[in-house]
Amino acid sequence: MKKVGTPDYSVADKLKYHVSALSTAAKEVALPLNITTHYPRERKRQPDCFRGYMLFDPEQCISCFQCSFVCPANAIWMKEAPSGRYYPTVDYGKCIFCHFCLDTCPGGALNSTKIHDVAYRTMEEMLTLTEEMVEPPEIIREDKIVVDYVIDKTDLSLRRTKEVDRLIPDLDRPKGVPMASQCIDRGSCIACKVCEKICESGAISSIRDTASMVVRMKIDSEKCTGCGLCVKECSMQILRLVRK
Amino acid sequence: MATEAKKGELEWEVKIPKKKVPDKLFFENLKAAVIDAKTCSRCLTCVSICPSGLIVNEEDIVDFPHFDEKCLDCGACVRVCPRYDYQPKSGLGTYLEFTAGKSKRFKGQDGAMATEFLMSAMDMGLIDRGLFVDRDEVWRTSVFHVRTPDQLHPLPLSGTKYAFADVIPELKKAVLFTKKGVGVVGTPCMVSGIRKLQEEFPVFREKVKLVVGLFCTENFHYEEIAKYLKDKGVDFTKLVRTDITKGKFIAKMTDAEVKFKVAEFEEILPSGCRVCTDFTAVESDVSVGSVGSAVGFSTIVIRTEVAKQVWEYIKKTGNVELSEGKPEELDYLINHKKEREKNIPKL
Repeated sequence: MKKVGTPDYSVADKLKYHVSALSTAAKEVALPLNITTHYPRERKRQPDCFRGYMLFDPEQCISCFQCSFVCPANAIWMKEAPSGRYYPTVDYGKCIFCHFCLDTCPGGALNSTKIHDVAYRTMEEMLTLTEEMVEPPEIIREDKIVVDYVIDKTDLSLRRTKEVDRLIPDLDRPKGVPMASQCIDRGSCIACKVCEKICESGAISSIRDTASMVVRMKIDSEKCTGCGLCVKECSMQILRLVRK
Repeated sequence: MATEAKKGELEWEVKIPKKKVPDKLFFENLKAAVIDAKTCSRCLTCVSICPSGLIVNEEDIVDFPHFDEKCLDCGACVRVCPRYDYQPKSGLGTYLEFTAGKSKRFKGQDGAMATEFLMSAMDMGLIDRGLFVDRDEVWRTSVFHVRTPDQLHPLPLSGTKYAFADVIPELKKAVLFTKKGVGVVGTPCMVSGIRKLQEEFPVFREKVKLVVGLFCTENFHYEEIAKYLKDKGVDFTKLVRTDITKGKFIAKMTDAEVKFKVAEFEEILPSGCRVCTDFTAVESDVSVGSVGSAVGFSTIVIRTEVAKQVWEYIKKTGNVELSEGKPEELDYLINHKKEREKNIPKL
């Protein structure tokens, strides 16, 4: 059986460890190593691509519903605006900040900020309406110092700089691949014109020729924004998005 | 998913059918010519194709609530309806082979050959989905997509269900999902509906690979037959099988049996069946039924090359016990249905 007891050190070893402990304490008194960020007086510098609170620009929105479809947490609900168009509302109680909605938005109507510290009193308040998403939320800034985490070869240390971080980064968002809708099986088209009705940009048109009993369907690639709304709505599933 | 752009797919023409009443909506035309004329077979081909709101209502009849606002007037329902320009079909139809068999793999009402045909087509790699009609404990029907043979065993998929099933709306979903093709089992009216869909739309021509037709005298609205059989003393929870033999309807329960003449069904016979003359599903790839072969065997009428290939495959794998088909036994029921020709309203 193994016995557990105090380790058997030599006098020289004991002395060495005592000196080491005392010197660490003395060092801390002289130069304290402060690893904690003193929020809210200090703020950690987040990268510009930080996935935080989202801003919305109704001008750019084409009501294509892509954000609400792609949302894995089902946090986006499309709400009808007085103009009859549908705009996203985000339930931050559900949002997992994956920003798939931002990535999928064909018009670039959604934008990210570095704001991650928003407080709510109730769960209902967490459902952020479209109007509230246009302007960034009001936050009281107490921070004067930005903290960077610097990792060198041996240790991690904090670098404090006296400046106020910009929470809304000025980013050139990469533009999506321009896509346009096309018909892949015109024989199966029933000319129900659902695509024409749903199209926001007026790219799909139809002419009903009663004399020869045909409907002429046409997609204008120039006008098509590639939102994919017609592709989703087509009851025969014969529309596809292709590269412009 | 991005695909390479092809020329000429930005402009296309769609032919629209002719209206019988020119200044009315297509649905109103369908309603007048089929639904109100009481020739609708409730095959639901129109429901499957409608992009707007064509449904089956609570009374189990095809309906379109608020059609005056919602109908898009595309004419798809009229294009696919087998009863709009009704050309009644009757007799045994053309066939390549008339035979009978019994599946060794599956158990069914008779020889379970409808199941065998679809599952063999799946083994051949012809189809990746088979549509079967399932039932719950009170014999209400639902459509089941079968993708592997294992799925068949716990379900009461084979055997006759005397209530309409919504096969074709499910068929459309299956067609949009499938990669290889779909096989389907249906009554003669459903087969006619599927053929109409295939005639009109290439997507159905490509994807619906095997259509197994069933011998059918009539089918019923669920609520009506449930009430009727209840009055006759049939307990649905104990019901094991239903069958028609020698002009008699037999409902076999775990502890009893109820028998009565088929002619008694006349009072609840749906109007669509009253004008149906097709007993053997003449438009199918292969027709399967109980009449025309020995007890425990299914009669098989192979009509097309596809069905012939599947049949050869079934024989090669040895999953079938062969028997002889007797076409003359079908004559009585074929003539019985042919007599319904007189019920078809003349326009």
